[in-house]
Amino acid sequence: MNSAVASALTMMAVALPTMFLVILCFMGATILLRKIFMQK
Amino acid sequence: MDALLLQYPWLDELLMGFLGLSWKHVVMWIISGLLIYLAVRKGYEPNLLLPIGFGALLANIPASSAVSQVVGEEGFLWTLYKAGIANELFPVLIFIAIGAMCDFTPLIQRPIVMLFAAAAQLGIFGTAVLATLLGFTFPQAASIGIIGAADGPTTIYVASRFAQDLLAPLSVAAYSYMSLVPVIQPPVIRALTSKKERQIKMGYQEEKPVSQTTLFIFPIMVVMIAGIVAPISVALIGSLMFGNVIKVSGVVDNLSKCAQGELANLTTLLLGITIGGTMTADKFLTPQVALIMALGAVAFVFDTAGGVLFAKLLNLFCKTKINPMIGACGISAFPMSGRVVAKMALEEDHSNFIIQHAIGVNVAGQIASVVAGGLVLALIPALSK
Repeated sequence: MNSAVASALTMMAVALPTMFLVILCFMGATILLRKIFMQK
Repeated sequence: MDALLLQYPWLDELLMGFLGLSWKHVVMWIISGLLIYLAVRKGYEPNLLLPIGFGALLANIPASSAVSQVVGEEGFLWTLYKAGIANELFPVLIFIAIGAMCDFTPLIQRPIVMLFAAAAQLGIFGTAVLATLLGFTFPQAASIGIIGAADGPTTIYVASRFAQDLLAPLSVAAYSYMSLVPVIQPPVIRALTSKKERQIKMGYQEEKPVSQTTLFIFPIMVVMIAGIVAPISVALIGSLMFGNVIKVSGVVDNLSKCAQGELANLTTLLLGITIGGTMTADKFLTPQVALIMALGAVAFVFDTAGGVLFAKLLNLFCKTKINPMIGACGISAFPMSGRVVAKMALEEDHSNFIIQHAIGVNVAGQIASVVAGGLVLALIPALSK
């Protein structure tokens, strides 16, 4: 396989799960933030 | 003619424009005319397409002094390019302005919408793979994929770092397709969903208000998490969140207003005309550029499909069904994508109001696209070794 294609596929395989992990971190942290600093 | 020029050397100076003219210049005039037409008559992203169109016109007059790169006689567009694009300053300034305009409240109220935004970044990576199959180098392909983020500044930032030779077509494709969201997204959504799915009602939920402290800490938290994962993305996400911090802090209204007004307008103006200045005939009229324009459309289609299919996947496991159309709003084209989807829902059922959910996903798309851009920035050098 062409090395550029392999690099692009690797990027997809690495970036997509990482992206979801980062987003899950954002979600968790946001929920925590809301709980700690709840509007009275 | 040559004899005439030998006899009267001053004629060369006088006729420089005519003598340098080629069919390519004329084609570029038509393209710049088309961009100006789309901006003025059709209202497609006029803030960007009008300056880009005019910049392209200036760049395609033979021997134009506006784009001269001769030392000592440098044209103003070349000076602007070096001052704002080559060093990535303009995209960063635009991000500060966008951050100051963003309201993350809908996102903080429903954090789950971030998942749709993540799924809608699929197009970036799918298009990058497709571009490498079509013969582009990996950094070029990754930069082409970023068009799918529907985020002009991120596209320019990545391209100016890894594909400077493709900067002009990438920017034009990103902004053109952003303005074509109402044309591109509806057919893709219809093709992937049934009428019944499009009629799913999500209802209006009275959300608890978000405290000022949460609004203030949220952008700082996003910078820290994204920065630790991909330090190279700090310039992008940091400037976006800096803009937001000055807005939500509530103590620097003058700076916030400046960022939303003068800074946004001035940088957009300079960015647009500078990008237009890079659209010279020799660089723009190539088969490669035609391919980039086609791949840009593919990236938008993939993104829309990624978001919609992810929502359909969630519906398999969720008790409360989600209208899969909101998945398509996970791109950064804000608020256009949210509005398009909300309008589609109303067309299917006059009592189906999903704008609250659609806009929430659309706001999340702004963050997700920058995170995706940051990951691409981090991975290009690592995978190019």
